Amino acid sequence: MKTGIFICHCGHNIKHTVDVKKLSEYFRHYPNVVVSEDYVFVCSEPGQDMIRESIEKEGLDRVIIASCTPSLHGEMFKDVLKKSDLNPFLLRRVSIREHCSWIGDDVEKNTEKAKRLILAGLYSAAHYVPLEEKIVDVKKSALIVGGGVSGLSAAVFLSRMGMQVYLVEKEAELGGHVRVLKNIWPSGRDGKDIIDEMVKELEGRRNVELFTSTAISSFEGFFGNYEVTLDTPVGEKKLTAGGVIIAIGFSPFDPGTKPELNYGKDKRIITTLDFERNADALQLPENPRVAILHCIGSRDEQIGKPYCSRVCCVNALRVGDAIKNRYGDSYVESFYMDVRAHPRGGEEYFEDTQEKGVLFTRANVAEIMPMPTGVMIRGEDTLFGETFEREFDLVVLSIGMSPPADSKLIASLFKVTLDKDKFFLEAHIKLRPFDTAVKGIFIAGSCSGPKDVEESINHGRASAVKLFGFLNLGYAYVDPFIAHVDPKRCSGCRMCEQACVAKAIKYDEAQRVVHVEDAACMGCGLCNATCPSSAISLKGYIDCMIDDEISAFLEAI
Amino acid sequence: MAEEKIEKNPEIVGFACSYCTFKASEMAGSLRMKYPEGVKLIQVPCSSRVDPAFVIKAIFEGADGVFVAGCHPGDCHFIKGNYYTRRKIAALKEMFDAFSMKDKLRLFWVSAAEARRFVEKVTGMYNEIKEKKNAG
Amino acid sequence: MQGKKIKNGGIESALGHFLKDEQHLVFGFEKGKDNVSHHVFKDSLDHYAPLNPVFSANGALYLRRIFAKGAQIVLMLRPCEIRAYVELVKLTQIEREDVIAVSVDCLGTISSKEKTGNAPTDVDPLREYFKDPEKMRWACRVCRERRGVVGDAGIRIDKNGSLWAIPYTGKGETFLSLLEGDAEAVPEDMFIVSSGKTEKFQVDMETFSKDFSKCIMCMNCRDMCPVCYCIDCVFKGDEYLPKGDALLNKIFRTGSVDIPQGKELFHLIRMFHVSQTCVGCGACEEACPQGIPLTQYFKGISERLQGMFGYMSGRSFEEPIPYVTFLEEELKDAED
Repeated sequence: MKTGIFICHCGHNIKHTVDVKKLSEYFRHYPNVVVSEDYVFVCSEPGQDMIRESIEKEGLDRVIIASCTPSLHGEMFKDVLKKSDLNPFLLRRVSIREHCSWIGDDVEKNTEKAKRLILAGLYSAAHYVPLEEKIVDVKKSALIVGGGVSGLSAAVFLSRMGMQVYLVEKEAELGGHVRVLKNIWPSGRDGKDIIDEMVKELEGRRNVELFTSTAISSFEGFFGNYEVTLDTPVGEKKLTAGGVIIAIGFSPFDPGTKPELNYGKDKRIITTLDFERNADALQLPENPRVAILHCIGSRDEQIGKPYCSRVCCVNALRVGDAIKNRYGDSYVESFYMDVRAHPRGGEEYFEDTQEKGVLFTRANVAEIMPMPTGVMIRGEDTLFGETFEREFDLVVLSIGMSPPADSKLIASLFKVTLDKDKFFLEAHIKLRPFDTAVKGIFIAGSCSGPKDVEESINHGRASAVKLFGFLNLGYAYVDPFIAHVDPKRCSGCRMCEQACVAKAIKYDEAQRVVHVEDAACMGCGLCNATCPSSAISLKGYIDCMIDDEISAFLEAI
Repeated sequence: MAEEKIEKNPEIVGFACSYCTFKASEMAGSLRMKYPEGVKLIQVPCSSRVDPAFVIKAIFEGADGVFVAGCHPGDCHFIKGNYYTRRKIAALKEMFDAFSMKDKLRLFWVSAAEARRFVEKVTGMYNEIKEKKNAG
Repeated sequence: MQGKKIKNGGIESALGHFLKDEQHLVFGFEKGKDNVSHHVFKDSLDHYAPLNPVFSANGALYLRRIFAKGAQIVLMLRPCEIRAYVELVKLTQIEREDVIAVSVDCLGTISSKEKTGNAPTDVDPLREYFKDPEKMRWACRVCRERRGVVGDAGIRIDKNGSLWAIPYTGKGETFLSLLEGDAEAVPEDMFIVSSGKTEKFQVDMETFSKDFSKCIMCMNCRDMCPVCYCIDCVFKGDEYLPKGDALLNKIFRTGSVDIPQGKELFHLIRMFHVSQTCVGCGACEEACPQGIPLTQYFKGISERLQGMFGYMSGRSFEEPIPYVTFLEEELKDAED
């Protein structure tokens, strides 16, 4: 066996706390190792060339790359092997960055740990066999879940690129929250116009089907060919989608859950969204006194919402701006923690509203009490350290964005993960921000965290581009890590068949052994752990690989 | 001359499912969270791949502790895998209990988002086992 | 409950009649010159013995991989043997279709390693003999189910020493129809009313190591275990016990020249493998040339692990083996 070991410095990221030279030196003299090198960036062009040259020159039949975590650069390194005519499944990735150099500071201990991790890779890879990736057809159709601004913009892009688009919205009308927004900052366009423009384009296309008042009743199958059942007002509809974009948006924070705000008990206490919906219908006195409260349902550990909702500061500024424009002699006071006017031009807008006369008071508001003459706000001015009580004619709560009400339901339907705040979690925050951990399922818009209209449109388009790239190929590789039965060793006890979640194991009455239906196998390995003689085994994770990894961690070396 | 007591560091082997716990451990690394280097992970596609024999083997090869970690029940990427894990590992824990070594095996549920929880769980386990190892 | 009181010689004449068909067999016990042993009766039921006071092996061992259709077999065995049979049926190791499994009340057994000539074989003298439970094997003394209440039908002994046949399944009814007489209400009081109980098994690793230090890895315990059904054991390969080149590789790889023992690993892993199916019959201990108290360990562990899931091996054909099923709302405290 000829193994090549390539240890990455990752610039300073690994080298800083792991003695990479010592490691490459150590493994150079190891049995079965013919190349052991460390390099500044193994993922760089020269780094890849180094691997290719070693494979070709030394005739390597195993490649071990000790670098970042295996979920990064996976396909790229596999391609390096492919280009050198080496089966890509003879590659072993060892994470010595996320699981070693970044989690401890002691160079000696980290180096020792990295040595064990690489050793585990070396032992395990010794059992590797060439595997063939299966190719499956990918249906050029996309299911978009959610007809808000993000889902619509994704649909527009995909339909223009000729993909079949199925867009599902649970409400009767498309457009989500954006539909009610007026004069959207900074463009000044009404939300309805933006939505109508997109819907009109979609309605005019033959490759688009829009489903409103529709729920998804089942979702099965594998990427490239997901089987979807919709529950539409005109009955059940079955369709096949190559990929999915989840764009189910957000739920506005309900201030009713904070009793001290008295929201819903007095019509003079409203939210920014109420203000958007019927600002014109508000009945205010000649020179109204208006209070605007920031961070309602954001940056609040007590109610489990520690995050900043990003859009509410600008929303609050817009309320102040609107009041000042309409009532020149009004008294408008904003109670804030920090003003985080995120988007481009936000800071300037903040200054403009100040110039127009909106007062900004850094405060903790303790209570809002409706009185016959007005609404009393009691709180503490945190700059001067004084308590205050002031009366207003109108109180506007700048509410934050909560995760969508059905995020848990949708997440379990599509088997994707939510983050701790119950927003959808991306596969990698920087490198794969639109992907979920499930292949072919992407996320877009504020369901993955608070976003404004511009960001949601961009996010929708970006996910659509990612999905397009995936669909347009028309085929995809399937991991060959599926279960396999050795019929000579199978006792035919059918334990694996009973346990198999995917129902991929079938019993052969004549031979009295089981076999695996490749296409149905999900590759979890439950059968392997259930079989007492391991006659059924999961390719890529067979017993002796894991056994030897255990030994590598523990044996005397 | 008084013999200086050398602190013994435990070795912990953890089985982490690719879709939840291993992802959480990646995030813990990215966030530069710290946990003892004695904790080493073996990546498995699903916690249900963990054959109790692996756990027994790790203990006999000298691991001071083993943990099996997967997605929270109901959240398994493979739909139901971790319910089987829970049965098998709970049974194995009962067996370890009968052999008076219950503290050597633990079962954790850590989702992909719970980097902090991952670090807390493994560090807690490490420290408890280390204390016992150095006490006796 | 309805059943038939068995007249003197009733079983023999019924089964003898049954054997008239060429394709019919009875698997039970035969009275030899000075011992009783497992026997397959074909054509006639000569020297048949309903009870066997000596335990040498679990009869279910001989039934593994009975798949041939056509030959009708009646099993007349001890409850522990029928329970192992039931587990093997669930594991598709036996085709249940052509088998009628009858469990016969077990009054206790002595080990085949003892002087077996002393033990009586008939019901009344046996009852007298085992009045002192110390005479029984430990496995029988603490047996969970010595009553013939498992399988398709049971043969129970009442307080007066009369035998009763009771059906539990449709096949049991077929068995009952072989017997003469009419069904009547079975008396409530039987000779064996309850079964033995063991304390919750608890041991420590030092005792375990000491007890198993004598093990020579002959693997007789595995080979004689009725529920260790794998046709190819994981311990056959080099994974757990490297030999030959695998051993040399390990030596060169690790620098350690110790020959890996693997015996503790073997027993613990086997213990887990049979944890839900073990019937506690003690066949393993009977087969052990080194006198290791295997029953204590295997029975002790399996009772604890079966108890977690409210499972009892061999109690029913329908209960699934716990490791291939689950409940969503259970084991809430399993997580640490």
